[in-house]
Amino acid sequence: MIKRLIAGGKYFLGLHSPGRNVRVFPDDIFLVSYPKSGNTWTRFLIANLVYPEKNPDFSNINELLPDPEAMSKRDLERARRPRILKSHQYFDPRYQKVIYIVRDPRDVVLSEYYFDIKRRAIAEDYPKQEFVSRFVRGELNHPYGTWFENAATWFYARRGDPRFLLVKYEALQSQAMEEMARIAGFLGISAAPPRLASAIEQSSADRMRELEKKQAHLWSSTRETRQDKPFVRSAKAGGWKAELSESSVAEIESAWGGLMREMGYEFAASNLVDAGMEHAGIENL
Amino acid sequence: MIKHLIAGIQRGLGLHRPGRSLLILPDDIFLVSFPKSGNTWTRFLLANLRFPNEPATWANINRLIPDPTGTAKRDFDRLPRPRIIKSHECFDPRYPRVIYIVRDPRDVVLSQYHYHRKIRKLDDESPLEQFVTRFLAGETCPHGSWGQNVATWLYTSEASPRFLLLRYEDLVADTARELTKVATFLQLTAAPEQIALAVERSSADRMRQMEKKQTDKNDLVKGSRKDLSFVRAAGSGGWRSELPAPMVARIEAAWGPLMQRLRYELSTQAPKEARDYEAQGILSGRHL
Repeated sequence: MIKRLIAGGKYFLGLHSPGRNVRVFPDDIFLVSYPKSGNTWTRFLIANLVYPEKNPDFSNINELLPDPEAMSKRDLERARRPRILKSHQYFDPRYQKVIYIVRDPRDVVLSEYYFDIKRRAIAEDYPKQEFVSRFVRGELNHPYGTWFENAATWFYARRGDPRFLLVKYEALQSQAMEEMARIAGFLGISAAPPRLASAIEQSSADRMRELEKKQAHLWSSTRETRQDKPFVRSAKAGGWKAELSESSVAEIESAWGGLMREMGYEFAASNLVDAGMEHAGIENL
Repeated sequence: MIKHLIAGIQRGLGLHRPGRSLLILPDDIFLVSFPKSGNTWTRFLLANLRFPNEPATWANINRLIPDPTGTAKRDFDRLPRPRIIKSHECFDPRYPRVIYIVRDPRDVVLSQYHYHRKIRKLDDESPLEQFVTRFLAGETCPHGSWGQNVATWLYTSEASPRFLLLRYEDLVADTARELTKVATFLQLTAAPEQIALAVERSSADRMRQMEKKQTDKNDLVKGSRKDLSFVRAAGSGGWRSELPAPMVARIEAAWGPLMQRLRYELSTQAPKEARDYEAQGILSGRHL
């Protein structure tokens, strides 16, 4: 009862986090991705590109690129316009200008696995095989749908739209300058190569690791998690090749092969190419 | 302040409309479509099939097949399970089972244009061409564009056993056959006579007659122009005579591949993208 009263009072004052119900302004830009797909890294890249004078770090990233799940409704509505908002939501028709980051689901599942250990959602010895199955079935403890549902809704609803920019995490890794130039262009920022290079340098995995060591207690996503596990982990593509079992790889590829292929992710289980097309989406809904 | 107080009391009594915060139950079934795609008609069909002892009317339809944005929370809690719930939302991973109705966008745009005249969002002089532009941009309702709404459901769920795709045009052509499909999907035992009764009770004529008498009993039509009817042509293919060719071409250019995938024949040449995707076998319409 008291709890509900407090919640009601907070709601009244606009102190609650609106999440998916965030009020959208016509000039908003959204940085969207499935969780563990490089969203935080891209937030730093963009913050360092757009607001270099603010010295972006974990203490102010939520203010610079606001997060509707971690910030109060009041602060969100007071944020400087145009806002660049972070989001993990599946397709939302209200979002107009969208940067969507997509990452190989075989790496996403590993990243999510280690993050769930860090935030004590699973034990350190939780079987990976089982985790992958839950990931494919959409049974992880968050409201963003499966990787497939999240990526497919954005990709098929918005591809070809000039107000939609698809960025691959892997391309951001391998050709950061080119991808940052695309992002800057999309944001309407004329940025010379030195400015791009500086934003990339300021957001390097090493620098983010250093910041994390000092500031983990200042940021909503790391505050109450295990401090013996890093948030910024390997920051690389392709870790699944060494860490996922063959059957886990096959499970992901046969569930979501069609979309993975459209996104340009090559299959390990090459004999499954056709099966993957047939089964794309079967596990969903 | 007073407004907040009233809202608070309404909430306490369960009189508020739950909207997105509706508590979804694991056996819920959602009847989803883009607006103006036959959702209300299908709601009548399903209500008449599910509740044969209480023929569906404009006055009770919101209670029988509730709408999270139009029905009080209390009425949701009182419904027998499994509930059948109306929705116009784009893909939502929380919906456990979904019946999705799709309709030819060239007819949808006309239907929505007429509906907006009826509810006084548009006046009679409002040019159709301007409406088509806004329709293509997804600006005529809060549920995305036709292409976005359909794509988010189709590409994610088409192959799922918990998803049933209905074409409005098939429903018009053979209502009993399509309703039987729905009954099977819902695991309702329905004898041909029961299907026939539900179809009869949901006929366009009957819905028109009831609309005349009950127009102020339903939010869809309440306070709208009395000289225009909510239940309009109730047919398919009206666009061939009513929608000027350049507007047809714009719709086909925007959504050609998706329309072809749904077996809506294009009157203009397929846009290049459509042919490319077909060549790659991506839009081969395998499941259709």
